[in-house]
Amino acid sequence: MAYPGQPGYYQGGYGGAPGGPAFPGQAQDPLYGYFAAVAGQDGQIDADELQRCLTQSGIAGGYKPFNLETCRLMISMLDRDMSGTMGFNEFKELWAVLNGWRQHFMGFDNDRSGSVDRQELEKALTNMGFRLSPQAVAAIAKRYSTHGKITFDDYIACCVKLRALTESFRRRDAAQQGFVNFQYDDFIQCVMSI
Amino acid sequence: MAAMGQQYRPGAPDANFLWSVFQRVDKDRSGIISDMELQQALSNGTWTPFNPATVRSILSMFDRENKGGVNFNEFTGVWKYISDWQNVFRTYDRDNSGMIDKNELKQALTGFGYRLSEQFYDILIRKFDRQGRGQVAFDDFIQCCVVLQRLTDIFRRYDTDQDGWIQVSYEQYLSMVFSIV
Repeated sequence: MAYPGQPGYYQGGYGGAPGGPAFPGQAQDPLYGYFAAVAGQDGQIDADELQRCLTQSGIAGGYKPFNLETCRLMISMLDRDMSGTMGFNEFKELWAVLNGWRQHFMGFDNDRSGSVDRQELEKALTNMGFRLSPQAVAAIAKRYSTHGKITFDDYIACCVKLRALTESFRRRDAAQQGFVNFQYDDFIQCVMSI
Repeated sequence: MAAMGQQYRPGAPDANFLWSVFQRVDKDRSGIISDMELQQALSNGTWTPFNPATVRSILSMFDRENKGGVNFNEFTGVWKYISDWQNVFRTYDRDNSGMIDKNELKQALTGFGYRLSEQFYDILIRKFDRQGRGQVAFDDFIQCCVVLQRLTDIFRRYDTDQDGWIQVSYEQYLSMVFSIV
């Protein structure tokens, strides 16, 4: 069963504390600086704060910052306790994933225009390990393109959503059979949680 | 609270009235009301622009020719649709706050026939509330209900034996859901 892998996972050497910010080594983690600047006492950030965090950290490189809906999707992609917020470890995980996706995007955006065309998106999705039929990929690419082009922000939104959906499916397919039985209420709640 | 600053008239509105509304909304006089024109004509009671996703949902429901907007005939359907939603919203906004809070949302969706968990209402509000006040405004309320309906419709399409269960592969799941959420 083919589930997408994670490209270019960042091999940080930082000690990861299981939860809050009260771990000595973490204060030196530059990522933690951005995070702590917006997180409150509870060490969690919401979509608004995530947007600020990501913008300040410059993860988007030269590209425009992420819109709020994309940030909300990012939180739900990693939000295992369904709290609607993200802790530092999840933020680090997100950072690594975003980095990988950005490298991918830059690989295709040869003229640094900040957007790629549909065929390039289709190629990128396949390269990221999403095993989808050509029709599915074409439909996804169509959904995210404006005048045949996909901007960096939309590209990330697409990847985030794909990954969130994949996670939600995988969580229910414990036996890894490649299919899931959904009862109606469960289906609605599962999908809406994304 | 009325869209387009008009009084709500019960029953079928007359064609002249609708035509005058149409003309006012169709600012560039193209004969088609676009997303932007409809968005500008609608109010969600919060002094912020009407949810563009809701505008798109509504127009796509009535635009029979995929032209990206509605002509006058199609607009009469849009007008009635929005009036109906105003009624529903008013019905469930029991404290007349102009927003629907979690309890009122529960009443509304239960009234429509959904049986959803307590935790799920928190998820719904978090997902659809664009004002960030823990309640849903008129436009976000419509979008929430429309998305729920779309998911229900697609579930039903797969539930051929109508037992409330479906079995889907990864790809089916993605293609079912990707365009809706």
